[in-house]
Amino acid sequence: MSELLKVEQVAKAMEGLGTVDAMKPNRIRVATTPAKVKEAVQRALKDLKCDHVVQIAAVDNGKSFELIYNLTGPHHTVVSILLELPRDKPEVPTASDLLPPAGLYERQIHDLLGIVFVGHPNLKRIILNEDWPENEFPMRKDWKPNPNTFYGGVHTEEAK
Amino acid sequence: MTEVVVPIGPHHPALKEPVNFKVVADGETIVRLELDVSYNHRGIEKAAEQRDFVRVVPLLERVCGICSHSHTTVFVKGIEEAMKVQIPPRAQYIRTIVAELERIHSHLLWFGVAAHEIGFNTLFMWTWRDREAVQDMLEEMTGNRVNYGINEVGGVRRDLTPEQIQAALKRLPHLEDRIAKYRDMVNKEATMMIRFRGVGKLSKDDILKLGAVGPTARASGVDYDIRKDDPYIAYADVPWQVITDTHGDVYGRTLVRIGELQQSLQIVRYCLENLPAGPIKITTPRAAPRGEILSRYEAPRGELVHFIRTNNTDKVERLDIRTPTLANWTSVAVSLVHQNLADIPVIVAAIDPCLSCTSRITIVNERGKKTGEMTWDELSAHGREFYRKRGRA
Repeated sequence: MSELLKVEQVAKAMEGLGTVDAMKPNRIRVATTPAKVKEAVQRALKDLKCDHVVQIAAVDNGKSFELIYNLTGPHHTVVSILLELPRDKPEVPTASDLLPPAGLYERQIHDLLGIVFVGHPNLKRIILNEDWPENEFPMRKDWKPNPNTFYGGVHTEEAK
Repeated sequence: MTEVVVPIGPHHPALKEPVNFKVVADGETIVRLELDVSYNHRGIEKAAEQRDFVRVVPLLERVCGICSHSHTTVFVKGIEEAMKVQIPPRAQYIRTIVAELERIHSHLLWFGVAAHEIGFNTLFMWTWRDREAVQDMLEEMTGNRVNYGINEVGGVRRDLTPEQIQAALKRLPHLEDRIAKYRDMVNKEATMMIRFRGVGKLSKDDILKLGAVGPTARASGVDYDIRKDDPYIAYADVPWQVITDTHGDVYGRTLVRIGELQQSLQIVRYCLENLPAGPIKITTPRAAPRGEILSRYEAPRGELVHFIRTNNTDKVERLDIRTPTLANWTSVAVSLVHQNLADIPVIVAAIDPCLSCTSRITIVNERGKKTGEMTWDELSAHGREFYRKRGRA
């Protein structure tokens, strides 16, 4: 089993992309910007030998959206690439060409938070039901169900 | 031949969650696969934000009916990490015992389903009978057969009495015996050899590229197992091995799961025999300080991840769940390409998907000349018939 990655190694690989800090011995976080995220993912794959995408976590912190790309590899250290997206224009380049499994995760995030992954080949609905209204993103903190909107299922008298 | 779109799904009672596939086939060969997993979206992540840590545990227990203990353990261990508390060793061992019994009954269930999909119903009956013994053990220990309700933030809710430990140890030799028999059977039984070998093959590079997890990945020689890579609860103390295989097909996935069954039994035996004395829970603070936890867990189907944000309150700010089945879909979509339509049931079943599948398949000729309908049972039957004919030819 190979050794855990060190903060210095990650900092060297991610030079010029953002701040690097260790959250735990086996979890190192890189805070970067939407424009540089592809570069960061590429360097994690190439220079840090990451070969497995654990998860793309998406958070609405009330002010902005955050995406955290958690990658790992034979070193068993999770490299978390964090970026923030403004609420009014949540757009980020897709990582699905670099990480094939990210394709599904990005579709899910698009459904729930309305983040647009620019360049995604098939950003179609996957997790919400097909009769869910367009442009309603339930995981946003400011989302409230509208009593007059039909959210799927069986049409009842009241919903009409 | 013309390409044909075969929609499969979303409902089937034999599997656990609904999913819809659109399989594009050219004759008997699969060209492409698209999927829709929306049918069982219940908004659990949103509901988890509204409840405090005490109330959210029973909610998460109901994410899945098979990995119910996985979802609560991964969550409570994340919250305990955020609170910076250590739970007593006895509680960690009890969590491990339940976790491994859950893996045993889940793998036995899978083995039965896979046997059923290839028409080997005798094996299906045998494995499910043995699974009953495991569920009885779980019922004796936790009081429940499916949602065990054993976890809480700060420890476990029920202690094991010496009588319970003795009763559980008495049940183990029978299971060990049965699983050794299955291992033997996989290498000898003609039906399994024909239907599992070379089917749904994925190389090590494919697995890494497509992000597959769990037994699917380990069957292709990728030794990722969170129990070893990022040890939690009692796994660092217990002697056990990560099982890998190099076949990379359904056969390899079967061998890995049977190997894991043997390892799990060994872990359960060790934990029961070496259960530390002491309390089973500690009192934890109501709220968790602001923090961000990535909690990883090796569920029976692979790596399960809960991403947790806490914010000084007794509720989570965000809980993002990534289930192993979601991670495995990309690999299924790829491993089905160039395979036979007849192999869909067994390849899909080979990742042990948490999904309930078809009650009806509509076969539509793309030219619009012919539309027919098929149930999943008919597709399974088609698979068996296809191989029967091929066997004769």
